[in-house]
Amino acid sequence: METSIRKHIEAIKNGDVKLEEFVSEVLERCEKVQSKYRPFITINKKPDLKKSKGKLAGIPISVKDSICTDGIQTTAGSKILEGYVPPFDATCVANARKEGGIIIGKTALDEFGFGTFSTNCAYGAPKNPHDPERACGGSSGGAGCITAAADFPHIAIAQSTGGSITAPAAFTGTVGITPTYGRVSRYGLIDYANSMDKIGVIGKEVYDAALLLSVMSGYDPLDSTSSEEKTDDLTSYVGKGIEGMRFGIPKEYVSDTTDKKVVSGFMKAVQKLEVAGAKVEETSLPLTKYAVSSYYLIAISEASTNLAKYCGLRYGMQQEIVGDFETYFSKVRTAGFGKEAKRRILLGTYARMAGYRDAYYLKALRVRAKIIKEFKSEFKKFDALIAPSMPILPPKFSEIDKLTPIQTYNMDILTIASNMAGIPSLSVPVGKADGLPIGLQIMGDHFAEGKLIQIGSSLEGR
Amino acid sequence: MMEPEVMIGIEAHVQLNTKSKMFCSDMSEPGDAEPNSNTCPICLGFPGSKPKVNAKAVEHGAMIGLALNSRINEKMFFSRKAYFYPDLSKNYQITQYEIPLASGGFMQLGETKIRIRRVHIEEDPAKLVHDSGEITSANKVLIDYNRAGVPLAEIVTEPDFKNPRQVRQFMEHLSSVLEYLGVYDPKREMSLRVDANISINGGERVEIKNITGFENVEKALSYEVVRQSGITRMGAKVERETRHFNAEVKTTSALRKKEYEEDYGYIFDPDLPMITLTRKFVDSLKANMPELPEQRAARLVKDYKISDYYANVIIYTGKPMADFYEACLKLENKPEPIASWLVNYLLKSLNWRSERIEDSKVKPETFVELIRMIEKGEVTERYAKELMKQYVDTGTSPKKLAAKEKFALSESDMLKIVREIISKNGKAVSEFKSGKGEALQFLIGLVLKETKKQADPKTIKGIIEKEIR
Ligand SMILES: [Zn+2]
Repeated sequence: METSIRKHIEAIKNGDVKLEEFVSEVLERCEKVQSKYRPFITINKKPDLKKSKGKLAGIPISVKDSICTDGIQTTAGSKILEGYVPPFDATCVANARKEGGIIIGKTALDEFGFGTFSTNCAYGAPKNPHDPERACGGSSGGAGCITAAADFPHIAIAQSTGGSITAPAAFTGTVGITPTYGRVSRYGLIDYANSMDKIGVIGKEVYDAALLLSVMSGYDPLDSTSSEEKTDDLTSYVGKGIEGMRFGIPKEYVSDTTDKKVVSGFMKAVQKLEVAGAKVEETSLPLTKYAVSSYYLIAISEASTNLAKYCGLRYGMQQEIVGDFETYFSKVRTAGFGKEAKRRILLGTYARMAGYRDAYYLKALRVRAKIIKEFKSEFKKFDALIAPSMPILPPKFSEIDKLTPIQTYNMDILTIASNMAGIPSLSVPVGKADGLPIGLQIMGDHFAEGKLIQIGSSLEGR
Repeated sequence: MMEPEVMIGIEAHVQLNTKSKMFCSDMSEPGDAEPNSNTCPICLGFPGSKPKVNAKAVEHGAMIGLALNSRINEKMFFSRKAYFYPDLSKNYQITQYEIPLASGGFMQLGETKIRIRRVHIEEDPAKLVHDSGEITSANKVLIDYNRAGVPLAEIVTEPDFKNPRQVRQFMEHLSSVLEYLGVYDPKREMSLRVDANISINGGERVEIKNITGFENVEKALSYEVVRQSGITRMGAKVERETRHFNAEVKTTSALRKKEYEEDYGYIFDPDLPMITLTRKFVDSLKANMPELPEQRAARLVKDYKISDYYANVIIYTGKPMADFYEACLKLENKPEPIASWLVNYLLKSLNWRSERIEDSKVKPETFVELIRMIEKGEVTERYAKELMKQYVDTGTSPKKLAAKEKFALSESDMLKIVREIISKNGKAVSEFKSGKGEALQFLIGLVLKETKKQADPKTIKGIIEKEIR
């Protein structure tokens, strides 16, 4: 079966694809991939095939399980939402369906997005198709996993708060686009940290990601933070060339703690960019050192309020009612949430408390404003900033088990600042080391997705 | 015994009468819809749903701010007030914290100035239905989310009230202001609720939650004054706590102790970006502000030369009453008698029936008929009062009522009746002529009976004497 989206679209145009046969074959292959690498929480056994025209006609789409799908179980990777079937589609899913996209399943993630390796998923962590003893990254690990493993045409709807698209894209050797905050409606996304959550895409090729992102983008009256900025056809930027562009490499992003093999893979790709006509210089983002701590303060403050609604009253997990409502809520939440979710609720509640609020939550908001300014001034000098996507190669599950929470949080060092600033970034695979993929990320100004696609595609296939 | 020094501050919650809820498109007035039918993923707090601000509610809130002389803040945020309670679908309430819609302001109550601290808008929680009817004794609670998300404006005062009576007066005035602004429906159940903080002689503050009805507000606070005075007189200390007012028995009872300030862990609601209320927006609201009750009362006094007392009663009974008064004046330009009959008799009859003027059968066209009859002397004052009662009961035109009941006696009508009685009672007439006083009383009695007591005996006596002599 053809895996290229472009060729698949061509085949459909020529009438070479019988949709029902094709889809049942795809679902069979999903089951096989599932038994090997576990990318899904739910496989949609009866996808809706009624809409056969549109930009995504006949294209299998997977959806991160923190994004609501009408009629298909949506758990956000948590036991507390086991069996929850949303009564509505997230706007991005509705847009994909309208254009003929076929929803094949819901992909695994760290519970509510809380993690960097998808190991905090209550339904089992997805395994890296490049080495099943290693993680896919997170939190959109299932999306990266199925994109890498699929032996059929497919594009994934993923989501990032602090790096949850870039990490799995880098670790699974796929292309991930984290768009500008507000580019894609968040309506129907189960919130982690609303002021930073972005729905994006993971695909095998830049073209695939650009295609799905174009369909999902645009203003949505249901999400007050969605942008009215016009979205053009992002696929038109693929292969446009980068002659004369200027790129900056923030020196804080290539440090002593970055894996040497990652650095060398990255530097080879930089040479490719120079050969293609770009000018590359070193630059500096001095506020980077404050990014991780302020990101986590904002994220957990918001997350701890977002998670308050899960109390076993209207949906999701229920328990026998004994005692007053506080007893009942505690019982449900104790049984339903995983360890990392509980940790973030506790930390987040603490950071919001009177007396700490000013020192933590409010100060972190001020740091974010400064980080945005810092990026903005860089984009006056550069078309984009480039850096390794992740500071390490995909780690083994046995190594992850040994990490302390702080060490894990620091894995996000290269993705957090751009995610906080709400600027777009694109991670593209740039070769391998020891058989494991290396990712390069391109960060651009707000709403500069087109340019990132232009740059990213110049690193493909050569 | 010395009067205790009382300090009261209140938070008044008003349900705004917008078409839809604060953050979704469900109806803001569910009425008696089936429980939980007026809901959607947003007000039920379903995963993935997001709130969307109802611009009309912002406008309503800003108008309230302007009417209370508050400053409208240019940049406005919504915040999450987080606490676990079954009436909150998200276990946080979307409200305003750091920067409310409006800050400062005051309301003048005669000589007393009550300072306003802030006016903000927020969402109403769901309705909890306690199994046994009372919050303190129920063992099961049902939740009706029909009300969840109805827009509320919260008006917070400084602790400027010196007695419960002032609080009631404030609430009556506030209700009137809201009605004039057209932002609230006084007929809706629970549309205006009060949380009150009360302390005496500088002691601990006690909060009484969720009182509805102006009379109840005064009663609850008066009860608290007595209760707290009793405690201090015994040498004990009033404890800081939250209490509940039981409207049935008119007492308050402890809900929970409050050892420390509750910590709601406020954060900005990240789903709702900052809203800028431009100068242009505020100016256009100001330009389109309706006449407010205070202004209208002053105008009634100035234009119609009625007393402050009449003007205030007419105004603060509610907008429909003032509209009624002015509608009457358009038909019959008699400001003083109309005000007097309205305040002294019509209002009493309505109150006795627990009826609002707008729901009653009383109409300006028919009400002025009565005034005209009184003014022309077609009915005596005494019978006009009786006629008023029947009119309020039935809504029948007073003219028709009078004709039917022979209430309205023109002099010629009266003469006709007297002459008829004289002609039919020759014996009594001759007895009277021969000087028997009882015969006159007998004749007067007959006339009274015939006219159903609508004329007074003295007048009848005069007519009979004139006719016979
Ligand atoms: Zn609703």
